[in-house]
Amino acid sequence: MSILQAVLCGITYWLAIGNLPFVGLWSLQRPLVCGLVTGVILGDPVAGAVVGGSINLVYLGFISAGGSMPADMALAGILGTAYAIVGGLDSGTALALSVPIGLLGTIVWYLRMTFDSVFVHVADNYIEKGEHHKIWRANVLYPQIFAAVITVIPCTLAAYFGASYIQSFIDFMSGPILNVFQVIGGMMPALGIAITLTYIFKGEATVFLFVGFVLAVYTGLGLLPLGVIALLTAIVYVQLSSGSEDAAATPAAGEDEEEF
Amino acid sequence: MADNSKMAREGGLIPKSALTKAWLIWETFPQTCYNYERMMGQVVAHFFSVLVGFLYPDDPEKRKDLMRREIEFFNVHIEAGSCILGMIAAMEEEKAQGVDIPNEFITNIKTSLMGPLAGVGDTIWQGVVIPILLGICIDLTSMGGGNIWGAIIYAVVICAAAYAISYANFMFGYNAGSNAVLDFLEKGTLNKILKGASIMGCMVMGGLIVNYVKVACGVEIASAGSVFNLQTGFFDMVMPRILPLATTMLIYWLLKKRWSSLKIIGLIIVIGIVGGLSGILV
Repeated sequence: MSILQAVLCGITYWLAIGNLPFVGLWSLQRPLVCGLVTGVILGDPVAGAVVGGSINLVYLGFISAGGSMPADMALAGILGTAYAIVGGLDSGTALALSVPIGLLGTIVWYLRMTFDSVFVHVADNYIEKGEHHKIWRANVLYPQIFAAVITVIPCTLAAYFGASYIQSFIDFMSGPILNVFQVIGGMMPALGIAITLTYIFKGEATVFLFVGFVLAVYTGLGLLPLGVIALLTAIVYVQLSSGSEDAAATPAAGEDEEEF
Repeated sequence: MADNSKMAREGGLIPKSALTKAWLIWETFPQTCYNYERMMGQVVAHFFSVLVGFLYPDDPEKRKDLMRREIEFFNVHIEAGSCILGMIAAMEEEKAQGVDIPNEFITNIKTSLMGPLAGVGDTIWQGVVIPILLGICIDLTSMGGGNIWGAIIYAVVICAAAYAISYANFMFGYNAGSNAVLDFLEKGTLNKILKGASIMGCMVMGGLIVNYVKVACGVEIASAGSVFNLQTGFFDMVMPRILPLATTMLIYWLLKKRWSSLKIIGLIIVIGIVGGLSGILV
């Protein structure tokens, strides 16, 4: 990996978690997307997207709510993909390697959340002086410069030096140790799926997890056709159940509103 | 106020272009300075910084008052909560036109709606829409020996959806006002959407387990000259992929027992080391 490529990886990381226009939060932060970008930087876009995609499985349902961040999926996606491409790792091993990286990356998030409070007082100051047109500096410019400093530098260093050590690391891994990484990598996606299930696996929807499972096991359907079937099933189910509700119990319409 | 057709609404003070610009600021920079003290408070001030000049063109003190009350603590789901921004923009506009709206009322609307809308938004957006779309797009990426289209489709669709939903929701809040938003939250429509989305999400997750969780037993029992493989001879006979399903349900159960994801990652690593080194898991 050249220094330029490492710096580009660092910049990708900054854009992914800096939440800048059109990128970040919902798109580049996801390993599927930043893996593709890392692949483009390293000259193998397809491998980037595939490895990034499998790393992303762990973070499928990771929710950042109320200012918490359970794992830094962007750092895991970028470094995991970079090491996989440079070291020729398969996606399962790359996934197992990237999960600890993602945990380490949360430091960056908490550093930002804490330090960014300073800029709010800069904005308070602008308001007291009646300089509203300067608020964008406190909201975008200064915090983003700060974010760039704490993201680009560590990610660049980790990409550059990590990649040069990855080969000796791979050489060290053989037989049973490689098996350990693959077993871990095989189980990790279950966490991403289980976290998603904590939001949706309730009430009448529970049985449909097993419908989807059995359908996929015995038909071998891909997820796109399965998704279409799932959408149609959901529409039919909601139509049927609301039809009978309307006919039977109009006065009791408020009964399942406590969920929120 | 000369040309009414350029205003966002009849007899209003805010030009349509300024309102759109304000919304773009909200949707684009909500977390560029995310912090523990005010969370998204500052972006609301950034949002009003392009509107306040139209509301109080010649009263600097009133401009300051407005900005002071709008930089307070605020935190919501970006797309679901954009209707709040529309609503308070409309209220500040009415207030500037002389309607008697107490400051506390505007602050109360913000604080009382941000909780429910954050809950609904995070559940539907981050809990259902993103996982389903990601699951399908990751699967597309691995097709035919690998391609880049899944990643590109995901990025384009999710950004387009975020901006479209946010804008529609924002204009709904601006035009319809607080009563309409409260009505919508209390009506059954939202529950139907949530129910349908959960059903679709559960089915897709079932498919994801089959395709992407990999747990297999490597134990072989040698007896009377023949070798009995526990995976192919037993688990696959019960049902293929039964171990991945069991693993997922176990982790789900642990999450319900309030295990943190960090603790579960630790458990997976321990199981991986023990199972992988001993050859029980392959």
